[in-house]
Amino acid sequence: MAKILAIAEHRNGKLTDATLELCKAAKALASALGAEPAAAIMAKDDALAKEVAKYIPTVFCVANAALEGYTADGYTQAIKAVVESQDVKGVLIPHSYDGVDYAAKVAMAIGAGIVSNCNKARVDGGKVIFTRNTYNGKIQEEKSVNTDKFVATFEKGAYDMEAAGGAGAVTAVPANIASVRTKSKGIIETMAGAVDISQAKIIVSGGRGCKDADKYKEFIVSLAQKLGGEYAASRPVVDSGWTDAARQVGQSGKTVAPDLYLACGISGAIQHVAGMKGSKCIVAINKDPEAPIFNIAMYGIVGDLFEVIPQIKEKL
Amino acid sequence: MKIAVCLKQVPDMESKFKIVEDKKIDESQIAFKINDFDNYAVEAALQLKEKFGGEVVIVTCGPERAAKDIRQAFAMGADWGIHVNDPAVEAGDNFVVASTLQKAIESIGGVDLVLTGVQAEDDQAAVTGVMLADLMGWPHCTNVKKLEVNGAALTVNRELEGGLNEVIEMSAPAVLTVQSGINEPRYPTLPGIMKAKKKRLDVKKAADIGASAASKTDFIKMFFPVSDHKAEILQGDAATVAAKLVEKLKNEAKVI
Repeated sequence: MAKILAIAEHRNGKLTDATLELCKAAKALASALGAEPAAAIMAKDDALAKEVAKYIPTVFCVANAALEGYTADGYTQAIKAVVESQDVKGVLIPHSYDGVDYAAKVAMAIGAGIVSNCNKARVDGGKVIFTRNTYNGKIQEEKSVNTDKFVATFEKGAYDMEAAGGAGAVTAVPANIASVRTKSKGIIETMAGAVDISQAKIIVSGGRGCKDADKYKEFIVSLAQKLGGEYAASRPVVDSGWTDAARQVGQSGKTVAPDLYLACGISGAIQHVAGMKGSKCIVAINKDPEAPIFNIAMYGIVGDLFEVIPQIKEKL
Repeated sequence: MKIAVCLKQVPDMESKFKIVEDKKIDESQIAFKINDFDNYAVEAALQLKEKFGGEVVIVTCGPERAAKDIRQAFAMGADWGIHVNDPAVEAGDNFVVASTLQKAIESIGGVDLVLTGVQAEDDQAAVTGVMLADLMGWPHCTNVKKLEVNGAALTVNRELEGGLNEVIEMSAPAVLTVQSGINEPRYPTLPGIMKAKKKRLDVKKAADIGASAASKTDFIKMFFPVSDHKAEILQGDAATVAAKLVEKLKNEAKVI
């Protein structure tokens, strides 16, 4: 039977949350397509394959010394070996940092169309219709592939995590991993800093709408101090050097869950939301009434943060 | 070093978007600009040129209006460019664009390095650079936050989750997709803008460079997301909304 294959990702000997989400996705899609859900794991040995098999009935394991660390060349050759030997119809990959690095290469290697960064998928007349974010989350689109096989990457949280169940079967798949052209020299921490904003009860966070470093300080930092909280930022603020990287909230920065998260001049791109959606009360101040941040906030103010923040400070 | 930078023109994401017949954006109210991530790629290329010499070539697929932003990159310091202006490419998917970029880059000849943004702000796909590398037969690295060049040896930092970077060694020729924050893109100077007007921009159709790929994906429709949750929007002037907010945070949400 044709298979829908979830790619299992792991770091430091642990499966990522996205892997469990994709096991759920593979089961849902396989059921709608009359296919069989399966997963593939690439690693130096088969130690983690049994762990994956708790979440999905069939696991293909490519164990090879060349797969000790992640490389796009290594993963692509391994996944291609599984796809070619196991009647795979669709490959599901996390839209993670690694996933973005190899997914399109896998699609090229197996001659499949790829729909990336999806948040939903449904089956209509035997065809998978993918939904994905575009235009900074302001518009969604539907796409499908016109190739025999498909590759799709899913953003984090698109599916709930699959719960551990029975013990599936693990099958070893041999793969010849040759000519890996990138060499990892190790992983480094780039946000080491004295401040740990993840423990703050109140966070005032500024985005691109703060305009410049002086205004960020004058409005965001001062409001945070007045509230007895920490100040934080979305990616553009850190990229522009208005504050340090240790204060960046989002997928590439810190994950926070304070009682109050005040997002000022932040549009609410998915990468930022990933780092703060667990906050108890989210307040959004933004000039753009269509900003996606208003879809997750409890209270919203459509207005100019430079006018609203001084008024908030006065009322406190 | 001969460096090609793949640059896309995209709408300003703060524009007021209107969808026409579920299929496309109404462009009449939209301001266009260089894809932010590509702007960082242009700057990274210019810095390499300043260090090692050589040239920076801009390669763009896009309609007539895209020429404005190719010239913007010229004004920053890029040397010349190829603009593939072809409705067939415009209608194609990321694979068609990657295949067209490949042919354009091969037509330049002797390119040592291709830089581009990690993704386009409009389609948020993050696949074109990787496909391009595969078509060229070159290695790639995505989400590049730091780049050192020593002859053909490249040392790059690849951004990972939670503030981690992976340090990677690889060899040119290669395709690198650049993450924002890798540098501080320069603004064009007035002399730069004057010079940009006279720089060479080759306008091509796909057939001129031998590109003829077909899409592997089909676009079905676009729509505004429907959220099952909407914030309670506080109404009134700045003083009124501020007072309402403080009251609600104290008495309703009880978080201050």
